Amino acid sequence: MIAIFVRSLLSGAVVSGTPLLYATLAEVIGQRAGVVNLGLEGVMLVGAVTGFVTMVHTGSAAAGVLAAALAGAALNALFAWLVIDRRANQLATGLALMFAGVGLSALLGARYVGRPITGLPELPLPGLASIPVLGPALFTHDLLVYAAVPIAIAAHWALFSTRWGLAVRAVGENPVAAFAAGRNPRVLQYQALLLAGALGGIAGAYLSIGVAKTWAEWMTAGRGFIAVALVIFARWRPLRAVAGAALFGGAIALQLLLQTRGVPVSSFLLDMLPYVLSLAVLAAWGGSGRRAAPASLGRVFQGSQ
Amino acid sequence: MRSARLEPMVRFGGLLLIGLVAFALLLLLFGRNPLRAYVDIFASTLGSAYGFSETLVKVTPLLLTALAVALPSRIWLINVGGEGQLYVGALCATWAALHLADWPRLPLLAVMALCGFAGGGAWAAIAGVLRARGWASETITTLLLNYVAILLVHYVVFGPWRDPGGLNYPQTAAFGDAAILPAWPGSRVHLGLLAGLLAVAAFAFVIARTRWGLELRAVGGNAEAAHRLGLPITRYVIVLMVVGGGLAGLAGMAEVSAIQGRLRPSLSPGYGYTGFLISWMAGAHPIGIIVGAFVLAVITAGGDILQMTQGLPGSVVNILMAVMLFVVLGRPRARA
Amino acid sequence: MTSNPGGHAVKARAIVTVLLVALLLYPAAAPSQGKLTVGILHIGSITDAGYNQAHAEGIQVMKKNLPEVEVIEVENVPEGADAERLMESMIQRGARLIIPASFGYLEPALRVAQRHPDVKFAHPGGYKRLPNLTTYWASTPEAFYLLGMAAGKVTKTNKIGYVVALPISFFLANINAFELGARAVNPKVETRVVFTGTFLDPAKEATAAAALLDQGADVLGVIVDSPITVVQTAEKRGAYSVGYHYLGAQKFAPKGWISGVAFTWGNLYTRFARQVMDGTFKSENILGSLNDDLLVMAPFGPAVPADTAGLVNAKRAELTAGKAHPFTGPLKDNTGVERVKAGEVFPITDLGKMNWLVEGVVGQPR
Repeated sequence: MIAIFVRSLLSGAVVSGTPLLYATLAEVIGQRAGVVNLGLEGVMLVGAVTGFVTMVHTGSAAAGVLAAALAGAALNALFAWLVIDRRANQLATGLALMFAGVGLSALLGARYVGRPITGLPELPLPGLASIPVLGPALFTHDLLVYAAVPIAIAAHWALFSTRWGLAVRAVGENPVAAFAAGRNPRVLQYQALLLAGALGGIAGAYLSIGVAKTWAEWMTAGRGFIAVALVIFARWRPLRAVAGAALFGGAIALQLLLQTRGVPVSSFLLDMLPYVLSLAVLAAWGGSGRRAAPASLGRVFQGSQ
Repeated sequence: MRSARLEPMVRFGGLLLIGLVAFALLLLLFGRNPLRAYVDIFASTLGSAYGFSETLVKVTPLLLTALAVALPSRIWLINVGGEGQLYVGALCATWAALHLADWPRLPLLAVMALCGFAGGGAWAAIAGVLRARGWASETITTLLLNYVAILLVHYVVFGPWRDPGGLNYPQTAAFGDAAILPAWPGSRVHLGLLAGLLAVAAFAFVIARTRWGLELRAVGGNAEAAHRLGLPITRYVIVLMVVGGGLAGLAGMAEVSAIQGRLRPSLSPGYGYTGFLISWMAGAHPIGIIVGAFVLAVITAGGDILQMTQGLPGSVVNILMAVMLFVVLGRPRARA
Repeated sequence: MTSNPGGHAVKARAIVTVLLVALLLYPAAAPSQGKLTVGILHIGSITDAGYNQAHAEGIQVMKKNLPEVEVIEVENVPEGADAERLMESMIQRGARLIIPASFGYLEPALRVAQRHPDVKFAHPGGYKRLPNLTTYWASTPEAFYLLGMAAGKVTKTNKIGYVVALPISFFLANINAFELGARAVNPKVETRVVFTGTFLDPAKEATAAAALLDQGADVLGVIVDSPITVVQTAEKRGAYSVGYHYLGAQKFAPKGWISGVAFTWGNLYTRFARQVMDGTFKSENILGSLNDDLLVMAPFGPAVPADTAGLVNAKRAELTAGKAHPFTGPLKDNTGVERVKAGEVFPITDLGKMNWLVEGVVGQPR
């Protein structure tokens, strides 16, 4: 009984946490470059619909994921142009981006609801999949799930062990100083946002061709906003984002799982857990949490734009 | 002299025009007649008595939620939590309506308004305190609290306050007549509009003509210097968040009392977020807020009209809003 | 932008002139004589392969039967202030029959109906009527009872999972009927219910379905806007599935499909339109059943053996003839409280008051 519960919880946490992880990584990269994107939800939706439509037409999951990444990057490129070159207010533009993503995805996807796709193929890892409890929970998913943590590690490496990452973070801390030091903040921010857009698109694609294998309007259901919160929870570090996504994914899975066990708690109160947890973490980490943020991100919050 | 004040208005109008043209091109792409579409929208929202009254109904909550953002923004606080504050305000007002149902109308409505303000204010205070202590950015905390607020409403509406006679559907019992905010006979324009306009006027007055307004501008201009001058920044942070949240809570009370007559999770189609957009587009300027509220009310109503008369899917209104916003937000800046 | 007030004034005047001219040329939206215009409001998208699509398809059937009828159709209308405004808008554009196709539109519809006694309204699932506002629904518990029977026979683990949107009494009644039908053929069957909290969230539905399957369920049922996600998830894991709304979901489960039930509104909408045109529109509480053309059950899938199909069909005949009732007492709810006494039945017309889950169902009705 316990084994089944644990297995189900872990598996559910992985499935719920993977899109959150991709989305959080997207937002971490963007915010490390000093840009807040509240419209991540829209980017995810565009990725979700593009991935789905591509898979309907080509039958290829790889093509779907690629197309989703490109679509996400394209929408984020528009966002990047507005906030970098047009110096538009980041928060308001992000919200506008969300509306754009919701509308565009609904328009594109209208004729594709109810179309069958095979979705991402399940790939049980040989050997690992037969470990009791952990095996079926963690090692019988698809490629996007398996790639999530390595990509997080890659993001960490890119941000903290490469010259590019150093430059991006420098821009996020103090673009003027970075410029004086010979970096090009504009180019770096564009690069970061394009990468972020691709990851956001993949997050959406996982929802549509990985988890649900269907398309429905606004199927991200607020996950893009959860990711924005997760970035704070993870203190802008990709590896902590893994823990955060696992925790949040676990909370979502737990709520559903407890219902199957007939536990008499309101599903809505359980649903609040991830958010309350984030708030608690924010309050608990206090000032040190704020110091972990990229400094010029803080300046943006002051509204000096 | 006068042209200097007219200038930003005309520029804003020019930007809107560009947005409208961009959307017209989109409509043409879909094989629709843009002029016909715009005339339909205009006629249904501003061109008829009923249409105009309905536009006012939509404008009412937007005025308050925009102020909920504008007031804190004076010291560069970013309140994205209007939606949640609205819901909590509605929740508290609902408590009064359900538990004091036998009170006479005037006191009941007054208490409901008080509860609405207190609820929204308290909700925003959470974020305010976290920010004042330097622990968390209010942008994120208010955003998170939005979700918690909506889930809270779901909880009470499915649980302790569920209407015993309503098919187990998620909604509270209907409010008695005494708990309904009176409307202008023959339309749905209600007292909330007056409250909203008064609030905007008060906002304009306080900012421009009172000592607090001066202090606010000082804090907003240079927080460090203000702090050194002895101005109580912490207090301002909390007070502004509370008042802002309270205004959003009032919007919630008005909507639940005047328009819905009971509490449902579908109370607000994003008034809080729309208010945020209005405030930022208007630069937190009182007149801009009124104009912006009208513009957005027309646009969102326009989406439905486009569905009806042009056969366009509902998703198109989101694109319209986004296009208009992109144009206004991406406008050329005079200064860096 | 140059600061040229004179130039701005000229531009402004030009724009206003154009708008005024356009306005004057705009033909007034007068209702055409004799032609009926029908307005319908959807809570979601009409391409949702589910609840909303069923209403939209009903309208399409009506249009095919009555080509002279005009239709104004709006999707994604939030329940609340907007619904009322849109109904008024439709009336201004000449609509004389309005179908507000979601439960939450009832109150706005009642208000608008009172203001326009000459306009007719038809509300699905409503519980209050007016002389010009009729309510309609199709009683699904009988169908769910039959589905339960089939599922009860097919299940090997005796555990069935149901992914449900919200604990609305209509849905609880369906679950209860399902469990009672399953128990009637298989006393060991247990149904577990998970509420996703929203009418449509495919990712959550997939996760809920997986959790139910992990707990040992080998049959999955679904009551959300669109059944596709849950049916697909069941099929992928080799489980059986029971559908709701969109019957096209059967093609997603070639092996595991048991059956399903869906609403077919087309003939009803045609009838409504004809009644409005003839002047014979009546306000009554229309409750369709398996007997008529408002409900249709899907064909059995290959998983259902012939003798089970026979059993179910026989029961169906009994139910539709009134010789049997899905909620026959004694019935206890899953907290042990007696809800229906022996020898009595829970009347279908009282479904609105069913806020409990029957013994054998694991779940919280809140």
